[in-house]
Amino acid sequence: MQVKGHIEVDRVTKTYASGAGDIPALDAIEFDVAPGEFVSVVGPSGCGKSTLLRCIGGLIPPSAGTVRIGGETVKEPDPRIGYVFQKAVLLPWRTIERNVLLPFEINGKPTEKDRENVHNALEMVGLADYKQHRPAELSGGMQQRVSVARALVTSPSILLMDEPFGALDAQTRESMNVELLRIWEEAMTTVVFVSHDIGEALFLSDRIIVMSARPGAVHDILEVDIPRPRTFGLVENDERFWKMRQTIRQAIRDTLH
Amino acid sequence: MAGAHVGSRQRTNPLRVNASGWWRWGFKRVTTKTQHPTAAARQRTGLSRILLTEKWLGRMLVVASAGLLILVWHMVAARTSPLILPGPDTVLSRLISFVSSGRAWPHIILTTQEILAGFALGSCLGIGFGALAAEFSIARRVIMPYVIITQALPKFALAPILVIWFGFGMGPKVIIAALIAFFPLLENTYLGLTTTPAEHLELFRALRASRWDTLIKLRVPHAIPALFSGFRVALMLSLVGAVVAEYVGANKGLGALIIVSQGTLDTELMFVAFVLLTALGFTLDKLHQLVYRLVRRRLYGKTATDADASTEHVSV
Repeated sequence: MQVKGHIEVDRVTKTYASGAGDIPALDAIEFDVAPGEFVSVVGPSGCGKSTLLRCIGGLIPPSAGTVRIGGETVKEPDPRIGYVFQKAVLLPWRTIERNVLLPFEINGKPTEKDRENVHNALEMVGLADYKQHRPAELSGGMQQRVSVARALVTSPSILLMDEPFGALDAQTRESMNVELLRIWEEAMTTVVFVSHDIGEALFLSDRIIVMSARPGAVHDILEVDIPRPRTFGLVENDERFWKMRQTIRQAIRDTLH
Repeated sequence: MAGAHVGSRQRTNPLRVNASGWWRWGFKRVTTKTQHPTAAARQRTGLSRILLTEKWLGRMLVVASAGLLILVWHMVAARTSPLILPGPDTVLSRLISFVSSGRAWPHIILTTQEILAGFALGSCLGIGFGALAAEFSIARRVIMPYVIITQALPKFALAPILVIWFGFGMGPKVIIAALIAFFPLLENTYLGLTTTPAEHLELFRALRASRWDTLIKLRVPHAIPALFSGFRVALMLSLVGAVVAEYVGANKGLGALIIVSQGTLDTELMFVAFVLLTALGFTLDKLHQLVYRLVRRRLYGKTATDADASTEHVSV
C-alpha cells in the first residue's frame, strides 16, 4: 500500500460575522503535512484548532486562502478524509457493525467487500466481538474506538481527529494513544490530530504545530525527534521528551503574551 | 430528545450485576447507591422484600385507593336515588348483561372504528405537514398560521355543521377525531425532526450524505420517541373527539348511547357506557405501549428500556 494524502494549508483565514463586527478565528494559517505524517495541533483553548480542522475537512469554507489535498482544492467534505470527532457520535439505534457500515450505506448499497472491511476495521480497533452490540452497551473508550473504526473503514488517506480522546480518563487515553499509533502504522494514513494535551501530542506526533489565540495563528512548528517505535515508558524517561515538553509549554505560554 | 441520550447511557452497572436479583423488585436507584451487604441481606429476608418494594407498594396503593373510591361510591349511592347515582353493584350487573347479551358490541365496535380512523387520518396529516414544516422553511411559514387558526378554533363547535354536511354516519366523527389528533403529531413530528443533535448532522455532512439519507437514516430514527408520544396523546384525543361528535348526531356508538340514556333517564346505562369508554381508552393506551415497546426493542435491542417510553414530548 502506498502512503498518500498530502495536505497543503495555504494562508487559511476564517472570520465569523457577528453583530459587533467580524470576529477573526484563523489568521493566514500556513503549513504542509507530508503523506503519512502524524501532525498534532496544540494551543490555548479558543485558538481555533477545531475550526482549522473543519476547514481542512471541508466542513466549513475558509473566508480566504485554500486547503489542498493531493493538489486539489478542498471545497466540500472529501471522500479521502476520515473524521473522528470529540464525541463518538454513534447512532444508538444501530448495532456496532451497522454503525461502522454507515459510510458505505450513505454512498450506496454496501457490498460483501464492504462488510469485510467493516470486520477488518473492527478487528483493528479490537472490537470484532462486539458487532451485534448497541453503542449504549459499550464504555466511552470503546465507543470512541468504534468511531475510529468508522473513520478508517473507507481506507481514507487522511485522518482528521478533533480531540478524540479528550473526554476519556487518563488510563484509557493512554491505551488509546498506543492503539492509535499501531493503527496509524498499519493503515499508513496521514493524521492531523488536535489536542489540548502536550504529552499526548508528543507521544504521537512527527511534528507539533503550536497555535496562538485570537486570532488563531501558527506560533511555532516543532519536530519531535524521538525515535519510533515509542512506548509511554520510553517517552517519559527520555530526556529529549522532557526538553520538548518544556519547549512546547513555553511556546504556549508565549502565545498568551 | 430521548433517542439522542440513549447512546451515552451506561447499562452495565457493576453493583447491579453483582447483586443477585434483588434489585428487580424495585427501589433500584436508592438501593444501588446506598447498597450495603447487610442492608441488602436485610432486604432479602421476610415479607418486607415483597411489600416494601416500589412496584408492589404502587400496585397495592392502586388497588386500595380504587377499593376506597368504590366504597365511597357505594355509600353515596345508597343514600341517593338510582336515577341520580346507581350503585357500583347495579352498574356491574347491568354491564355484564349488556355485554353478554351482545348489545354492547355494535356500539363498541363503531366507536373504536371512528377513533382509529380519525387517529389514522389525523396522524398521517400531522406527520406529513410536520415533516414538510421541518424540511422546508417556506412550508413552515405557510403551514404554521393555518395550524394556529385550526387550533384556536374550538373543533367541537364544528360538529353540528359537519353533521349537516356529512350526515349521521361515521364521517363527522372521523373528521373531528382527525382534527384533534392532527396537532400533537404535527407538533411532535416537527420537534422530533428538528432536534437532531448538531454533532450527528456534522457526521452526516462529513460522510457526504444526501438530504434524503440524512432524513431517513438520521432524523427519522431520532424522531421516533417524539412521534410515539404524539401518537399517545393523539389516540386519547381521538377518543374524546369521536365521543363528543357522537353526542351531536348519531344513533350508534358509545357517545350516542350516553345521549340515549340521558333521554330515557337510564342512568345505569350511562354509567355502563362510561365504564366501557374508560376500558376502551385504557386498552388503546396499552396497545400503544405494546407497539412502542416492540419498536424500541427493534431499534435499540437490549438497550431499550422503559425509560425511553417517557412522555417527554407530550404537547397538547
